[in-house]
Formats: sequence, structure tokens, C-alpha cells
Amino acid sequence: MTILNESGIPDVLPPLHAVNGLAERLSDVLFVVVGTQAEAHLVQTLPAAPSPNLPPFRRNQRVIFAVIDPDDPPQQGVLASRIVESAAGLRGTKLVLLVAGRTAEALGVDAAFEATLVARKLGLPAEAVNPEAPREVPGVLSTDLEDGVLAALVHRCPKRRTSDLVETASPAKRGGLLLGGLLGRGTEAPDSGDGRPVVLLGGILTPGATRGIATELLRAGVEVAGTVPETGIEELPPLGEGTVVAVMDPNLTLAASAAEKRGATVVKTLMPVGVDGTARFVQDVAEEAGTRTSEVVRARSAWEDLGVLRNRIRGKRIFFTGDTGLEIPLARFLVDAGAVVLEVGAPRLDRRFLSVELQALGPDVDVVVSPDYRGQTNRIEESRPDVVISSPGLQLPLVARGHLCRSPQDFLEAGPYGYGGARRILELLVRTMERAETLDSMNL
Amino acid sequence: MKLLRGVYEGPQSFGTLKLAASIRGAHVLLRALPGETYFRTLYGVRERTGATVPVTLSPLREGSDDSMAPGDLARDLSRVVRRHPKTEIVILVRSEASLLSGESISVTMPSEIEGTGRPPLLVTLPWEEPGMRETEAAELALEDLIRARMLDRPERSPYPTVNLFGPPIFGPGAEAEYAEAERLLDMVGVEVNARVPLGANPVDLGRLPRAWANVLLYREIGESATLYLQDEHGMPRVTTPMIGAAGTGSVLKSVGELCQLDPKSVQRTIWAELARTAKLPWYARLEPPETFQNRRVAICGDFTYPLGLGYALAHEVGLEIVACGTYLTHLARDFIFHAHTFTEGAFVEEDPDEVAARLEAAKPDLIVGTHLEADVADSLEVPFLPLCPPVTGRPFVERPLMGYAGSSVLADALDTALREKRIESTGEAGMQWTDGALQEAATVPLFLRARARRLAEEHARTQGSGEVTREIFLESRL
Repeated sequence: MTILNESGIPDVLPPLHAVNGLAERLSDVLFVVVGTQAEAHLVQTLPAAPSPNLPPFRRNQRVIFAVIDPDDPPQQGVLASRIVESAAGLRGTKLVLLVAGRTAEALGVDAAFEATLVARKLGLPAEAVNPEAPREVPGVLSTDLEDGVLAALVHRCPKRRTSDLVETASPAKRGGLLLGGLLGRGTEAPDSGDGRPVVLLGGILTPGATRGIATELLRAGVEVAGTVPETGIEELPPLGEGTVVAVMDPNLTLAASAAEKRGATVVKTLMPVGVDGTARFVQDVAEEAGTRTSEVVRARSAWEDLGVLRNRIRGKRIFFTGDTGLEIPLARFLVDAGAVVLEVGAPRLDRRFLSVELQALGPDVDVVVSPDYRGQTNRIEESRPDVVISSPGLQLPLVARGHLCRSPQDFLEAGPYGYGGARRILELLVRTMERAETLDSMNL
Repeated sequence: MKLLRGVYEGPQSFGTLKLAASIRGAHVLLRALPGETYFRTLYGVRERTGATVPVTLSPLREGSDDSMAPGDLARDLSRVVRRHPKTEIVILVRSEASLLSGESISVTMPSEIEGTGRPPLLVTLPWEEPGMRETEAAELALEDLIRARMLDRPERSPYPTVNLFGPPIFGPGAEAEYAEAERLLDMVGVEVNARVPLGANPVDLGRLPRAWANVLLYREIGESATLYLQDEHGMPRVTTPMIGAAGTGSVLKSVGELCQLDPKSVQRTIWAELARTAKLPWYARLEPPETFQNRRVAICGDFTYPLGLGYALAHEVGLEIVACGTYLTHLARDFIFHAHTFTEGAFVEEDPDEVAARLEAAKPDLIVGTHLEADVADSLEVPFLPLCPPVTGRPFVERPLMGYAGSSVLADALDTALREKRIESTGEAGMQWTDGALQEAATVPLFLRARARRLAEEHARTQGSGEVTREIFLESRL
């Protein structure tokens, strides 16, 4: 594996586009997009996952735009009271999220403060989410808002009772940090014999994703205490010290660090994408939770089941332009399955967070950080890959030049997680290639 | 500050991008945050072509770094020129975030860039401000572009020609509108000198005064440009919307006058087209009067389409226009003035919820509007025709709404929409609502309210209740 930095302009969907999809998935959250006409227009014009056939526009009553007039920015608190007025009409709202980025800030809106006001007046939790939140590593992924929203959900998880106990324990224990830590761990030891509670984080855009992974873990003898997101805000599992958090998506850096800040242990392992990824994920999560298990047999039989599909994929040349961050685990699995991955674009690459994934990536894969979309187009033209997993902005130009394209969102919708997901990934690719062959064989 | 459930228009940068993407040989250098570049994606899904959109991002970064990464405006500009040697105009557009960040932008086109010939023209838009809307910005930008290209006074063409000022990309059937207008003008013996902005090239922009007159198909974008051409170059303009048979005939006759054509020959062409192509008058005659009697239509859209459609539906078809609105607040006075020729219910409103309230109050039997009115029509259970921009979805076959062919498209649309017999409001009209139920209903978002009311009344009926109580209303909402 080689990592190059192209310092270009990557083609990435704006993170804000995800508001529609998230509002549909989280049905008890009210999204208030704070900004100018530009933000409102963006959210409205880009449906959750743009495809060549733009679906008809449907308004979601849980998405509200706070359009601020730049000449007349509101006084502090005005925004909050307006939100309170409109939230009153929406039954079943359990959480208000103020999505406010740099323009809101430039207009002098203190989203966090307004959120506190909203929370106080409505008696509901409210949080500010910044889709352009500063991160350690530069770059934008189209899933940044998803990450921020999941981090907000992590904040909403009830605190764990055991940690409360530790905290309210005698002050003598807090004497030294190191000592306190050691003691804390010591008191938990008998608890972990029972197995520490596991919380799954991610899979927000794939319905049923967390359930599938939970089943895999259960098979290994680990019971999943809960997932983030849950069906409702009130069902969110307790999350705090002693909780084992298993992250399912490679792009959830904010959410993962939010969980870490609460004292939970975030398992450093592969994402549960592909056969080996799932096996390693289950094994490592189980180990962290206090159960030893081996997935070798499962993984071997899963690979054997994929035999026919692997034969279809073997030697196929695949190019990832990069958009969602899911590309790296996908590439890792496809290389294992016998495909040749020409390039993986990574608009943002958090090497620390993804260290395990990057180590597992085959030796012949080039990862291009902050790729330039024109450069990528040229490289695609030169290398003529069999399939391009492209960002939505490049899809039509590439298809017009005769390339076979799928978007990473297609994989997310199909459900790439678990052993079953490995099959779905390969099936999706094989289907794509088969259809192209049928169409190509037509004599037009 | 307003809380909205939708917006009709995009920000000013979106308008300029739409305009620039319509003109061949123009390239936009967009100063924006890295997360603001959705235009490429949108262009792909809307236009459904494989063309790459001529927009280059110059990302707005915090702090200055000495790396060669994009972000330095002057360097990005010369990169654009080097990468796109055929570009003749580079337009510098700033996004809302860039305008709000307060960064000062001063950049000039270098006199020579290695490896290229004459550098392209750089057009900056000094009037950009964060609160501006897309249509107004596109209109101003078009005037600026034309002014920038107007270097000499080209001679008037020896034979009658006109310029067509029509809609930009993403308009419903924009290409087809120009084509239909050009076909009709060709029939009366007038050549089209240039189509502006869709399909124009920079050379066309400099040669606009060759034409004898300007025909404004889409006034929203062409207004200030044609006024400039009228003042500076003495070019007359035709502003009647070319919608419906009457509107089209009026435009052709005006063009005939301005181009000193024989009125009789123009009239003959019009008659021939009325016999062959224009089916709206024919449809109006074929249908029994009952189809149109007491049928109320509410229209909402930009400027040209609601006015043109309103006039045609009121006078040519005989429908009652109970409401006709525009979301273009900067054209409010003109709109109200023109709309009064066919309706008492003219309004100007840019909040879709308020529009929904107006439409609902007007009790229409048919709604003609933008994609934002689809929900309202759905909730009111009345037929809906998405004929005014902005609309989503793009058919592979573009059909015009202007001209005589467009009048036939309109006739088809009306035929389908009006064929369904009106459903008389089922059951007992005017079910009683308790105060508590009314209060609850008032909290439902406007575009869903009609449906909520209907469902509640149905629920009350199945419960055997003569009135809608708060409990019944809440149950029906579950």
C-alpha cells in the first residue's frame, strides 16, 4: 500500500445533503438547518443519494430551514423561540438538532447557545451539529454530517450506571489519576467477567445493518446491549465507562471520539465489511467484551460460499474515486476476493483512526489522499478499469466516456456489513458487469 | 429571519452558475468552501448529459499556507486558463460563505499565461451580496457579460434578425422553448441572430446588436440585458410571454412590425399554424363548456410562466383563475400589474407555506405550479401540473410550453388533468370541529393540513361521530 497526497480538489457531495436521508431514518428528530438561502437550497435540491434519475422532491416535515437575512441577523434567542414555535406543532419530536455550519457562525448565530435555549423551553434535548466541524485531518467527506449527528446521538445516550457508581464512590479513590484509573479498572474486573456491554455504532443508512451484525456477535456469544442509532431516541443504550463501542463505519471519527470521551472503549479493529473484516470485527469485539472466540471456521466457510462470485470478480480492475469513506474497507475486501484495485481515493484519510484498515489493505493498492477529480478522470481514462466506484458528481461524465460506474451509496443501500454483506457486495458488482455485458452485446 | 419548509430560489451563486453553464466557452471560477460544490452533481442529474460542467473550485481555506494546493485565487485562475485553453470568458463567482467571510477579492487576469494565446476575458461581479437570490443575480450577470463583450458596434444584419432571450439550463424544456420560437420566427421570415443565454457563445454576446429586435421569452433573466441593449444600441424589445395561441400570435405580429414584414404574410403564417400546430384553441372548442365551467385554477411560479399560463387559461380556455402568484419578490409590481388582466387573486410570496395557505384558501380545482406545490395539490386532492420552474425531474424528450407547439402541450396537459370529474366533497359537507381539534389542526404544517383535516373527518365518520373532537383528530394522526 502506498499513500500519496495529490492536494487536489476531490469530487465530494456536500455533507449537508445528508439531512434528508437522516431525517427519514431518525423519525423522532427535528432537523433545523441554520444558514442562508444557500444551505436551504442545497438540502432541498440534493436528495439523500443522488442518482441519475432524480427522485421527485418530497418535503419532509421534520426538516426546517432557518434562513437568516445577512442584512438583518437575528438577536440571540430569536432563533430558539422560532424553533420552539414550530416544534410545538410536530408531535413525537424527541430531539432537536440544529445543523449550523460556517455561514451561521459568520452571521453571528451561536448555535450551541440557541440549542440550550430550545432544550430549556421545550423540555426536549437539543444539540447543535456542525457539518463543517473542524477535524484533526483536513478534507471533506460526504458523510461528515452523518458522523456529527451520530456524535450528537452518542451524547444523548444515558450515562452508564456503573460509571455513575464509580464517580459517586468515595472521594479517596480520586486521589491520583493513575491510582483512580487502576482502581476503576479493578472494580470493573468482576463485572467484565459477565461480559462488558457492547454498543454498535453506525450503519445509519442501511436499514437492518446493526441487527445483522448483532446476530453475528450473538453467534459468537456476545450479546449486543444496544445500537446507535436506535429506532427511537429514548431507546438509546447506556454508554459510558466500561461500555465496548464497536464502530461499523470507517468515517465515524467524531462519533467514535465522542464515545471515547465518555469513557467507553472503542474497539480498534477492521470494519465489519467483507469476510475477513467481519471475522476480525467479531473476534476483536468479543475479546474486548470478555469472550474469546474464533471466527476462523466461519470465515473459511464464508469464503467457500463465495467461490462462484469470486471467480467472476477475480482479476477485475476496480477504481475508487472516493466520497463516503467506505471505500477503504470495500477495497480491502475486493482485493482479498481477487480483484485488482487500481486506486482508492480518500478525500480525507484519518490514518490513526483507520490504522488497522490501512494495514490490512493489500500491498499493491494506491491510496490517494485529497485526490483531484480531473486527475482521477485522466487516470481512469488511461487505465480503463472494469468498474469505477465513483462519487455522484463524476458518475455521468464517466458513464458518458464508456466507463461502468457504481456509487458507494449503492453499496450502503444494499448493506455491505457482515458475511451476508460480503455476498451482497460481490453480487452487486457481478450484476453491474453482467448487465453491461448484455447491453454491450446488443447490436444497435 | 424566517423558518421555512422549502425555498423556491437558490442563492445568487447558483443563479450565476446556471447562467454560465448555459453559455458555451464560459468558465466559472467559484470561490467557495470545499463542501459547497454541489453544482457539478446537480448538473449531472438534471441535464443527464455526460458533459462536465465548466466550474472550477477555488477553495476557501482558513489561514494561509505556502503549499501549491488550490486555494490561492490568482494561481487557481491561471490554472483554469491553462487547463481550459478554449475558454473565452472566466467568471469569478463567490459563494455565500465566501461573501460572508469578509475576505476581499482582488484578482486580475495575467496579461500572458505561458503556453496559451490571448488570455480570456475575466468578468467579476462586484454587486454580489449574500442575501441575493438566483434569478436576480443571473439577470445582472447576463447584463455584465454582454457589456463586457460589447467592444465595438457591429453592423445591423442586412435581413431581419432577432435575438432570443430565453430561460437558462434546468428550466423545464428550456432547449425546446428556444427551438419552437426559432421555428416560428423562421416561418415568418425572421432569422435568429443569437440564443441567449442557453447555447450562446461569447462571440454571439458581442454581436447582439446585429439583430433588429430582442424577443424576451423569459423576462426573468433577460430584462436588464435587453434594457441595456435598448438604451445603448436602440434595439426594441418584445416582452409578451409567448404562451398560448394568443400570446404567440401577438409576439409574431410585434416582431413582424419591428422587422417591417408584410402584415398579411405574417397573418397567413399564423393562420396556417393555427390550423396545423396550435391545438389549444381546438381543444377549447372541442370540449363541452361544462368541462371548464366553474373550474377554479390556482397558479404559482416565477414570472413568465404564471402570467402566460394564467392569461391563456383564463381567456383562451375559459377557466377561472382564482389565484396567481410569483415568488420573485423583486418583480412584484410588474407581476401584480400584469396578473390583474386575468385574475383578482394576484399575490407575491416567497414562503412556500404561505403559498400553500393561499392556494388552500382559494379552493382550486387545479393547481399549476412548481415542484413545491406538488405536496399541496396532493394534500388537497386536486390535479397538479408542474409547469413553472423550478421543477425536478427531467424528461428525455423535451417539450416546449411556448409557441404554438407549446399550446398543444398545454392542451394535452389540461385534457389529462381536467378529464377526471370533480369529486364532490364526500358525505356531509361542513362537519363540526371542536375548538380543541381546531387548535391541534393549526399546528400541522400547512402543506399537510388539508390532508390531516380530511383524514380526521373520515375518522370521525367511521367512529360514527358527528363532529371532530380533539381526541378523534389525534387518533387520525397516528
